[in-house]
Amino acid sequence: MKTLLLLIPGLGTIVFLMGSALYTIVVQSFGVDTEIGASLVYWSSTLSDPILYRSIQYSLRTSILGSLGAVALAYPIAMWLRNSIPGKTAIIGLLRAPMFVPGLVAAFLLINVISFHGVLNESLLALGIIDKPMRITNDKFGWSVVMLQVWKNTPFALILLSSSINSIRSDVLDASADLGASRWANFWQVVFPLTIPALQAALILIFIGALGDFAFASIAGSRNVYSLSVLMHYTAVAYYEWEKAAVIGLVIMLLSAFSAVLLTLVTRPFANRTKAIIPANFKG
Amino acid sequence: MLQIKNIRKCFDDYVASDDISFDVAAGEFVTLLGPSGCGKTTLLKMIGGFHEADSGEIWIKGERIDHLRPEDRNTAMCFQSYALFPHLSVSHNICFGLVQKKISASLQRDYLAEALAQVGLELHKDKLPSQLSGGQQQRVALARAMVMRPDVILFDEPLSNLDAKLRESVRFEIKSLQKKHNLTTVYVTHDQAEALAMSDKIIVLNGGRIEQEGAPEDIYYRPVNRFVADFIGAANIHKAKVSKLEQDNHYKVSCDLGELIVESQEPPVADNVYICWRPESAYRAKGDEENRFNIKVDNLAFLGNVTDLFASTDLMEAGTGGVRIQLHKLLHTQVGAREEFVLPKNAIRFLEEVTA
Repeated sequence: MKTLLLLIPGLGTIVFLMGSALYTIVVQSFGVDTEIGASLVYWSSTLSDPILYRSIQYSLRTSILGSLGAVALAYPIAMWLRNSIPGKTAIIGLLRAPMFVPGLVAAFLLINVISFHGVLNESLLALGIIDKPMRITNDKFGWSVVMLQVWKNTPFALILLSSSINSIRSDVLDASADLGASRWANFWQVVFPLTIPALQAALILIFIGALGDFAFASIAGSRNVYSLSVLMHYTAVAYYEWEKAAVIGLVIMLLSAFSAVLLTLVTRPFANRTKAIIPANFKG
Repeated sequence: MLQIKNIRKCFDDYVASDDISFDVAAGEFVTLLGPSGCGKTTLLKMIGGFHEADSGEIWIKGERIDHLRPEDRNTAMCFQSYALFPHLSVSHNICFGLVQKKISASLQRDYLAEALAQVGLELHKDKLPSQLSGGQQQRVALARAMVMRPDVILFDEPLSNLDAKLRESVRFEIKSLQKKHNLTTVYVTHDQAEALAMSDKIIVLNGGRIEQEGAPEDIYYRPVNRFVADFIGAANIHKAKVSKLEQDNHYKVSCDLGELIVESQEPPVADNVYICWRPESAYRAKGDEENRFNIKVDNLAFLGNVTDLFASTDLMEAGTGGVRIQLHKLLHTQVGAREEFVLPKNAIRFLEEVTA
């Protein structure tokens, strides 16, 4: 009993901080505190609303592409930073700069760059590459949000992947080259499998952050389709439907948990290769 | 098969290879031997393509290869740390190079089965490297290199991570596989016993330069200078004044052991030279043999198969190190006793000139 009491400071904080918020949102989603009492009515009405599915599609699309884009960009940079380069510390510092720019500020900055009369359009016009400005901001697909997610999350992916890539012994990479592996084969058959744990961590953390993103989606996101967090925000604040907002919140959490498991399962087979080459009945 | 021509490599001010040239014949086992920092691994890595030489040429089978990347050279390296791919099973590790060469799956299976049988790892073929002992990992690295059928196989101190007993058995395994498959081998080590036991030819390196090149017996019994004499096994080295005797190939030397007769095919390079002899060459005097010298026993160390005797002579100055004699029979003497030993006249070797 005394032992259990000793756990209170640590476990109690976790249970209080996380459990209470989770409890509230779960209770709210079933409308426990409403006049009609606990029911599935908010769940059924929210889950039958096509707007939710459009939001799920939009959020999944932008967060999957954003997280994949961030790790895809981080890999070659991390491989490059493995070499001894003059000014390496300064380069790493610059690469990490986006981590220190708040999401909302970053979204406004990007809008200025890619807006109808922004720097990008004006430059392309001046260079004669385009005849009239392109409408890139607040696009329906969500490319502007994807760009922001990649920009914001690449430094984080770089931290995780760099430490994992740097921990691969040089002679393992030398052995790979010695045995005839091209640069691509060296990456795909050696570096990639050996960095799967870091890749999993980076993908999951970036994906979850992107799925619940509000700042980028509200500023640079589509005006026709809401992201899940924007939908949740409007449902609660504009329509005062807190119970439905709670359902959307739980959908975000469930999607995050499901995606984390899925990403782990999808990437795990790449980590080891132990399938028998010589079958048990092989006669050499 | 392999020709190294005037290779030079510097790392800033440090000269790792200073105009190195040597040849390795097909099927020959050549060892690059030297102390830490002598440039032996750098040289091996230049052959493998991991370092680029500042100048010089590397040729394999008549083709210049020093401009090629490692993956384009038909060499295979066994690394000091084995460098096995930790995420691949033994079989996949061994087949890694075959996959890169796009060898058919059926041929891969045949090569793999043969390689596993050669190194005796059939039962471990589907294990990960982390599930193997150091010796087994070393054998996987060897099989992975051999299966590539390389023109030259390169070993970078492959036994240094193994314990003494295992080192001896793996040493014989490597040697017998090399002989059986007639593998052209360049082997790097700082362990002189390993070099003597395995090599057809030893190249002794020091400070990025070749000190001596030759068969193990030549290197051991006919060292050309104090560095080689001292680095390969134990050696007693003395300053000596030499005078020619009438008899062919016979010389009289005066050193701190006294006056001795030397029989040598090769004349000394000067009147004042260093001479050396091996501790096991001397034996206890039985009568009035030639080349007797007197010693005072300073220390005795019984090592089981040999007894190490550390001694000094009356002519030696204090603090000059004394002499070391190794005897295969138990010597019934004690510290402080005076003994008389004989040094056969053909056991003494002339080294370089004594300079100021």
